[in-house]
Amino acid sequence: MGKSLTARKRPQRVPLTKVKAVSGKAVAWFIMILFAVFSVIPMLWLILAPSKTQVELQRSAPLSFGSFQGYSDAWNNLMVFQDGRIVDWIINSIWYTGVQVLVACTIAILAGYALSATRLPLRKTMLIATLVAMIVPQVAFVLPLFVEISALGIYNTAWAIILPGTFYPFGVFLSYIYFSTTIPSELYEAAKIDGCGDWGTFFRVAVPLSGGLIGMLAFFSFQVNWINFFLPFVVVSSGDVLTLPVGLGILFSSTPALSPQVGANALPIRAPEIALAGMLVAIPILIVFLFSARLLVRGVLAGSVKG
Amino acid sequence: MLRHRSKLMGQINGMLMFLPYLVVLVMFAIVPIVMAFRVSLGPSRLYPEGGFGNYLFVFEDFRFLSAVGNVSLFLLIYLPAMLIVVAVLSLLLDTVQMKYTLPLRLAYLVPAGISGSVAILVWYFMLEPTYSPFAGIFAEIGLTEGVQIFNTTNLVYIFAIMAFFTGAGNWIVIQYGSLQSIPQDILEAARMDGANVFQQAFLIKLPLIRKYLVYMLILVFASGLQIFVEPYLISSSVYPGLAKDWSLNQLSYTLAFTGSNLGAAMALSMVMLLVSVIVALVIIYRTDFFDEARGKMKEKTIG
Repeated sequence: MGKSLTARKRPQRVPLTKVKAVSGKAVAWFIMILFAVFSVIPMLWLILAPSKTQVELQRSAPLSFGSFQGYSDAWNNLMVFQDGRIVDWIINSIWYTGVQVLVACTIAILAGYALSATRLPLRKTMLIATLVAMIVPQVAFVLPLFVEISALGIYNTAWAIILPGTFYPFGVFLSYIYFSTTIPSELYEAAKIDGCGDWGTFFRVAVPLSGGLIGMLAFFSFQVNWINFFLPFVVVSSGDVLTLPVGLGILFSSTPALSPQVGANALPIRAPEIALAGMLVAIPILIVFLFSARLLVRGVLAGSVKG
Repeated sequence: MLRHRSKLMGQINGMLMFLPYLVVLVMFAIVPIVMAFRVSLGPSRLYPEGGFGNYLFVFEDFRFLSAVGNVSLFLLIYLPAMLIVVAVLSLLLDTVQMKYTLPLRLAYLVPAGISGSVAILVWYFMLEPTYSPFAGIFAEIGLTEGVQIFNTTNLVYIFAIMAFFTGAGNWIVIQYGSLQSIPQDILEAARMDGANVFQQAFLIKLPLIRKYLVYMLILVFASGLQIFVEPYLISSSVYPGLAKDWSLNQLSYTLAFTGSNLGAAMALSMVMLLVSVIVALVIIYRTDFFDEARGKMKEKTIG
């Protein structure tokens, strides 16, 4: 990295162009910082909103802080909704996503390795099928999945949400690329000569070398499954089986927070409370994002352009 | 003989490792499509004899055309905005020295936490004058009431803003990653030939990442086509019915669950899936994005 920095230094210029370059740079920084501000304000608002009361939220400056008491008041009010239903949603979201990430990543790593380093029959067909499934958005499968899930008799159960989330073609593709480009094939061959079978090579050579890959896989599958709305919304109807993002949708329509027509006195759930629920969905993603930043700021396409 | 046996073992082990994935691929991608296709051809109230009647029903439904119009307009705003902003900002990030841009890149990743139902929640408050941090700006241009912003004419822009802010930052960082890997000697040569910063950006870097921008556009198109949660939640809360059956997926959902016309819902789902699969096949066979992956396949098959 240090090398590329020095290599990028521009040669000396005559003063006039230097002035232009400086003002050009100022404009560049202005645009970049402006976009950063617009990127951060919504999240900042979401984090600050639950600290205020409904009245403060409407009267005081939008990005001001209320009090820490505000968060616990908002939480206590949220707990009034269907006798603490929010706790069910949080627990469900955590364990559904946990199982999905674990199973989806395991399946994806095995399949990616099989595609890249073993003599898998029909390899090409499988790879094309994976590419197609990876590009078609998951949302497109939701209503067809509803038909299957009803036929299987798992409608309105946790499995209706969890199982489809273990299908992770993007993870298979990432693993396949990783095992066929990042790890040199000589390593697999050396392991085989040393007497490792396919499984031995996988567990003793490939897996120990794929820390970065596993982090990346876990990150993307967490993000997709944690935030998923359409699938749980369609395949589950009971409140106690639902997840936090769909629960948030229910708060939208059945509390006075965003639906004044529900009746202002029905529930103590107003803007600060619903913002707190939204914050509970957003914060885990934000934390995981910032923890994976080292992987992400390089970008998943880093190293992909070859002149 | 021994080689033959080890080849067979290799195949068996490969299949065993691949098996769990194959099971979920069949169960959660192929079977649902086959089942949905059968339902779409099955008998319904209007077409007791089954066949393609359900497809006809969808195409003739007045809501279908208006949903196609809404989603097309949404994509017409959202796609160019993504292309321009992502290209410009990733080029800017790459042009200034990288060590100072880390906080910026982290900031660009923040909105990814605000997607799905949270995006509606946050953007409702961002756009509602009584709550918005931008209320001052809105007041300047005469917008002081929620209904001035949340109305049928503006819906498409509101959804485009939500979708744009959820995805743009992520893609800027990804495209920046691909810009960073352009070999230094190419840029060095351009500088020696007297190319200034703009010429380097637009004549050298942009063409080199063009295919990644195209790839992004195609993916964004495929997911934009499926828009559901934004119009659905807006219509079921703050402004009841405002964006009812606004998007194709909403129509599909309505047909299935309130119109009790599952056949027609599946017909519409099949049409949308078909478009997505065609898009996928175009990327795979008509662009060189996956050439490396496919090239490896060929090597392996020959070797």
